[in-house]
Amino acid sequence: MADMDPATTTQTESMMEEEASLFSSLDIILVTLLAGVVLYFVMNRKKPEPIPEFKKLDTPAPTTRETSFIEKMKKTGKNIIVFYGSQTGTGEEFANRLSKDAQRYGMKGMAADPEEYEMGELSRLSEIPNSLAIFCMATYGEGDPTDNAQDFYDWLQENDDEDLSGLNYTVFALGNKTYEHYNAMGKYVDKRLEELGAKRIFDLGLGDDDGNLEEDFVSWREQFWPAVCEHFGVEALGDESSIRQYVVKEHTDINMNKVYTGEIGRLQSFEVQKPPFDAKNPFLAPVTVNRRLNKAGDRHLMHLELDITGSKIRYESGDHVAVFPTNDSALVNKLGQLLGVDLDVVISLNNLDEESNKKHPFPCPTTYRTALTHYLDITQSPRTNVLYELAQYASDPKDQENMRKMASSSPEGKFPTSNLHWSWVLDSCRSIIHILEDMPSLKPPIDHLCELLPRLQARYYSIASSSKVHPNSIHICAVVVEYETKTGRTNKGVATNWLKNKLVTDNGHKSTVPMYIRKSQFRLPFKATNPVIMIGPGTGIAPFMGFIQERGWLKQQGKEVGETVMYFGCRHKNEDYLYQEELEEAEKTGVLTQLNVAFSRDQEHKVYVQHHLKKNKENIWKLVNSENAHIYICGDARNMAKDVQAAFYEITEELGGMTRTQATDYVKKLMTKGRYSQDVWS
Amino acid sequence: METKLTSEPVPNGVTKGGARIVVDDDEDVLSPTDLSELLAEGTKESHEKAENCQFVKDFLRGRIQRELFKKGTEALYFVYSAMEEEIEKNKDHPLIAPIYFPTEVHRREALGRDLEYFYGEDWESQISLTAGTKPYVDRIHEVGEKDPVLLVAHSYTRYMGDLSGGQILKKVAQRALKLPSTGEGLNFYQFEGIHSHKGFKQLYRSRMNELELDSETKERLVDESNRAFGFNMMVFTELEEIGKSTKEEVQDAGFGHSHAEIMEGGDINKCPYYAAKMAASGNPTYACQLAMMLLRHPPCQVALAAWVAVLAGFAAWYFI
Repeated sequence: MADMDPATTTQTESMMEEEASLFSSLDIILVTLLAGVVLYFVMNRKKPEPIPEFKKLDTPAPTTRETSFIEKMKKTGKNIIVFYGSQTGTGEEFANRLSKDAQRYGMKGMAADPEEYEMGELSRLSEIPNSLAIFCMATYGEGDPTDNAQDFYDWLQENDDEDLSGLNYTVFALGNKTYEHYNAMGKYVDKRLEELGAKRIFDLGLGDDDGNLEEDFVSWREQFWPAVCEHFGVEALGDESSIRQYVVKEHTDINMNKVYTGEIGRLQSFEVQKPPFDAKNPFLAPVTVNRRLNKAGDRHLMHLELDITGSKIRYESGDHVAVFPTNDSALVNKLGQLLGVDLDVVISLNNLDEESNKKHPFPCPTTYRTALTHYLDITQSPRTNVLYELAQYASDPKDQENMRKMASSSPEGKFPTSNLHWSWVLDSCRSIIHILEDMPSLKPPIDHLCELLPRLQARYYSIASSSKVHPNSIHICAVVVEYETKTGRTNKGVATNWLKNKLVTDNGHKSTVPMYIRKSQFRLPFKATNPVIMIGPGTGIAPFMGFIQERGWLKQQGKEVGETVMYFGCRHKNEDYLYQEELEEAEKTGVLTQLNVAFSRDQEHKVYVQHHLKKNKENIWKLVNSENAHIYICGDARNMAKDVQAAFYEITEELGGMTRTQATDYVKKLMTKGRYSQDVWS
Repeated sequence: METKLTSEPVPNGVTKGGARIVVDDDEDVLSPTDLSELLAEGTKESHEKAENCQFVKDFLRGRIQRELFKKGTEALYFVYSAMEEEIEKNKDHPLIAPIYFPTEVHRREALGRDLEYFYGEDWESQISLTAGTKPYVDRIHEVGEKDPVLLVAHSYTRYMGDLSGGQILKKVAQRALKLPSTGEGLNFYQFEGIHSHKGFKQLYRSRMNELELDSETKERLVDESNRAFGFNMMVFTELEEIGKSTKEEVQDAGFGHSHAEIMEGGDINKCPYYAAKMAASGNPTYACQLAMMLLRHPPCQVALAAWVAVLAGFAAWYFI
């Protein structure tokens, strides 16, 4: 507007007049506009300034949270730290329980997430007296660490020159045997820490979630703490009652109807029997047959038949029968004598922790006699924690010292217990009675002993009959356990001796066996035409008697039955060829299309089932590879099952033209697809 | 140049003339025609997808609300009731009988006990079939009536899963929902009739492989199994939706899980809900913050620019 000419001045004047009147509204608009723009820019500049109150709520800034577990432990007076690698929370739970346990032993523990702390400080634990790092490590996926332990895992792998010589540690691993890399993480941590110079003070615990993880943890922990106490020369809190879990109460005037006399669950359940029958409510089955199976020899192999008429119990061949045995009354009396108590007083052991679900260690009220006969295991070699807790009752200081010593870990870490425990207790097969006999200064109170002894477990036997042929009878085939120990004593198996003494008639009345059926997954193929190869030396023949009876029954029904092949083994043809008559009859009638028996001791060199398998390799391979045969193994887990598996690898390798790895895969695949089943015991 | 004419000796001394026979993917050896293997291979992708569903991922991390878990149990009840009803009806069918294991695997009763624990004695009147679960249930009834062999696919998809990863879910749920260690509310995951899960799965696979099926039917079974996975994911999606709406209700109670990610990001101010709440409560700083935040949004900036332009235009019009 600088070049205004006179012609526009009048316009300008009028405009100025106009402008004057408009100025105020334009002003407002301009000012607002300007203000808005200014405000906008001013605000933008202020943007980076954070609001003070919210600094604290920002995600963990390292400066405000303690990442040094050493400092934390020093500040809170803790000497034990329990790290956990946990995905579903179990590892964390175990860690919390362990850290709480420490108190009972006069120590202080804390649980810690390795993701939240500087794991590089592990070497500094030596700054804390009597320190210990426990690791509860779960394995995830294909042998991997859990998310929260990934960094720790990486740190362990990368730092070869880390010196952890001041670190005392122990590891409990959580895993699942169905996965190939069972407990890989726990095992790795245990090994690696040692490689880096740390000191393992108790052996690696392995928890199997496919079995019973809780049980694995509890038994490991029971032996762990006494070892810790021993290692640090710390005694469990001096006051005895603080370690006790239960307190005994005597009942002087009680209605005998309210007293347990051996029932597993409901009171009077042995007197008034009501189906359904199971682990908490067993059926008292009368024994109808109890005969010796072997013709000669010093062992006693037996065949029993239990009558289940009227019980509504059903079973299938391949299932297991569970029986509830009792201890030999002579042993119970001996124990009462050694402890110097009247076994017939009626008592209850009540849990001191009122919140606990487990009110009593076994059904109460009951007598000591009943407890020691029906509920407690008095023949097992006691575990280290039991001995540790009983040590205080040895009046001879040398005895006390020895008992405590047994609880510590062995220097080579070879056995889960000390050398002394292994040699004096385990290797010599000493039971609590033997220990009391050999250590006369040891005089524990019976109620504490009852708290410490483990529960007497049911025993399982593979059923030796087929429900198609024997719907109301369950057959058992077992060998009586009896052996000489290094101390010159004779130890007898609880259940087998108890069964042996279950005569058909006992002073006029029938013997009964409390039992129930536990379903198994050991089954004949659905189709009768499928060939089966059964391998069951010794008492491993049991389930196959059922299988053979069933295939015979199917044949009788007119069904087409496939190849039924049996591989049996025993020591001497003239001594322990179990069910010889039945097996030879089955062969004659064609129920068994092949019967192979190996007599291991009838010649100079040992001949076992696997040797016969290999001799018949072509036939085996044809059945397995071309005719879809199902393979069944029953009997000894330790040697026989492994040897037989190896034989199958060899046959597969040779006749299938495969490498060892391929052959192994082939057999493993048969297992996955349920064509190679095992019912084995050790 | 010397060429090796003799082969390496085979372990037990028998030599084969020529090269060692290496069998690779030969049908005779590996039998990829086994239904159990076809199903495992054929549903791998679906299985992965299901595992990566937000609902499942959250569940595994312990982020599961009690209400959602109850709704999940409800859905399962309808599915298993349908499946077990159809299996029962067809138990003598030659293609169902081999895999008929009511004592071992059937879940209806266990689910009923869980629902009783969550809803009380009159739980039956309190539960209902949701829109997300209905197609699944309908399909099960459809195959049960028209093509029973396909029940094998449904049975495989659910039961084998329950016996595997399902066990992990049990632990997570127990901890996250603080359910009693005695097992109430989790009976679904307890297979009382099975001693060894691994053993049972092997038996089940052997039974599936005993079924007499032509390759066309096996393919249809793989398809149906994938369909079953799809139905399961539908149920998860529905549960996710229910979960989201309950989360929003929980907003006012305080900083809930939905804030978790934002908190992890570092700046609480980024949370729109938080700022809005603060602005509404009259706090001037936050009103500015809110305004500022709005201004940061490109659309807001465009709007402001447009407004400025309009004003400038208006002003210019007045001047001119």
